[in-house]
Amino acid sequence: MIKIQVLFFGKLKESWGTNKLEVETGSHNIEDLYLELLNKAANIPHKESIKVAINDEFVNWDTTINSGDTIAFLPPASGG
Amino acid sequence: MFDLSEKKINDSQLKAQTLDPSSGGFVCFEGWVRDNNQGKDVHKLAYEAYPKLAIKEGNKIIAEAIEKYDIKKALCTHRVGLLEIGDMAVWVGVSAAHRDAAFKACRYILDEVKSRVPIWKNESWTDGESGWVEQES
Repeated sequence: MIKIQVLFFGKLKESWGTNKLEVETGSHNIEDLYLELLNKAANIPHKESIKVAINDEFVNWDTTINSGDTIAFLPPASGG
Repeated sequence: MFDLSEKKINDSQLKAQTLDPSSGGFVCFEGWVRDNNQGKDVHKLAYEAYPKLAIKEGNKIIAEAIEKYDIKKALCTHRVGLLEIGDMAVWVGVSAAHRDAAFKACRYILDEVKSRVPIWKNESWTDGESGWVEQES
């Protein structure tokens, strides 16, 4: 098990009811972590529209996660 | 350079930073908060960002524009926090030797910032409700 921090932004904060979670997980990559976190979500956002980041860098869903990582789930941007 | 601002955007200062003696043209786009969106009357709005990633991605977009078009300088600043109707939400400015590259680069930066930079808009409507806005064209 590893300890990580998860950040939620925009409408995803409402899906999980928080902007930050401290998680102890056995998941090895972001996709597995996302599936694990779905049981804590009030509604299920479309994964296809979500971008993911580790430690302030965009990454792919199959990227390995490590202890101490900060993982962010980002809904589609709507700036401008 | 790309930046986020919690205060009103100082467009005259940004313009002064964008001007360049070897440039014959300057193109600027200002995006303002309007009082309506998708059939609803907007009261005010808030922009939320993931600051570190937003600045990184915004600067990447500006570097791409400089690489792609024959321009001298390009700057973009996006507001975060609470905004009122009429407030400037985003400013993009480009200087170049000739107009064509300046227009194209300005459009490129704005379009890419809107679709790639992690910033999200939450609108408050006059009916008392509020909600996150999906990407617009």
